[in-house]
Amino acid sequence: MARKKKGADEAEVKANMLPVMNIMFLLIPALLMAMEFASMAAINVSPPKFAAAADQKKQEDKKEEKPLDLKVFIMTDGYRVTASGQQEGADAGKSADSNRPTIGLAKPGSELDDYERYDYDALEAKAKEYKGLFPNDVTVKISAEPDIPMQVLIGTMDALAGTTCKIGKYYKGEDPPEDCYFWQPIVEAGAG
Amino acid sequence: MDNMTPEQKAFLAKKKAKAAARRGKEEEEGELGMTSLMDIVSIIVVYLLKSYASDPVVINPTAGQKIPMSKADASLQDGMPIFVTLRGITFMDKKVVTMNADGEVDKAQVENHLIGPLFDAMAEEVDKAKAMAERQNREWEGRLILVGDERLKFSTLVDVMYTAGRAEFVQYAFCVIRKG
Repeated sequence: MARKKKGADEAEVKANMLPVMNIMFLLIPALLMAMEFASMAAINVSPPKFAAAADQKKQEDKKEEKPLDLKVFIMTDGYRVTASGQQEGADAGKSADSNRPTIGLAKPGSELDDYERYDYDALEAKAKEYKGLFPNDVTVKISAEPDIPMQVLIGTMDALAGTTCKIGKYYKGEDPPEDCYFWQPIVEAGAG
Repeated sequence: MDNMTPEQKAFLAKKKAKAAARRGKEEEEGELGMTSLMDIVSIIVVYLLKSYASDPVVINPTAGQKIPMSKADASLQDGMPIFVTLRGITFMDKKVVTMNADGEVDKAQVENHLIGPLFDAMAEEVDKAKAMAERQNREWEGRLILVGDERLKFSTLVDVMYTAGRAEFVQYAFCVIRKG
């Protein structure tokens, strides 16, 4: 006896994909418009009054360790670096010498909009040196002359934090990496 | 027809014969292969959805704005973005301040570092955000995302930060483009 095949008479059903395709094609421009084309990051900056409170907490942990109080002032002719109230490179017997930068320009005579004119490598080396002396300090007060562009300020923050510093891990709950120096900048006005 | 070469005449005759043969047959229905197209489109949509969901804040720079470059790697956290360019200051999608030709805030609008129109706009938004946080039983974080321009002067930056501080913002983040 011949057996009839089970689905032999069943008609082939094809799914109508056009509505799905329509939605997909509408989603593509909508998502493209909302997409980031450059990878964004954040530099968390503390205003002075809140940084003071954070410092107090840190100082309790450090058992009366003398704070470094690192200050970097960006001038048109270089960086003035001050630690513990003493400007580095100041004349003998003076706490500050406003005429001379501690770290001169990498490209003297270049225009102000040349962001590579500052010696970021020398500043990073200085930050590393201070970090070795004060391993628990993470804050640095940064100020600048009024015409200094924002890119120079950001470059300075990068140099002080360390160019290999991956501080993103700290914000995800890990300990700050060892190659991060002064990664908590405090922006001050007219603190030259 | 009379000017044609024998080859052209032969070609036209062959074409006519083919057309006649086609007319005798039933025309076949052409089908478009949708499966491969669906595969490609699905992959694109998934990729775009993933890149959309990776950051809590989507920053769309304003025209002509050059966001500074940095080696920082901390991701942006949720907050109120403020766009400060050489043309003006935009806060919560409203242009509240127009800069002068030097890319600075007009001195008439600044009083002891406080930018008047910006403070008004910020205070209004802060009140709204606080009320919303209170209704949702959570603490208002007061985080400001400062999306600046690489050419922006330090004095303008300080004025904006000071104004934000007066409007009760307590956390600041500079938005930068990751280098490398």
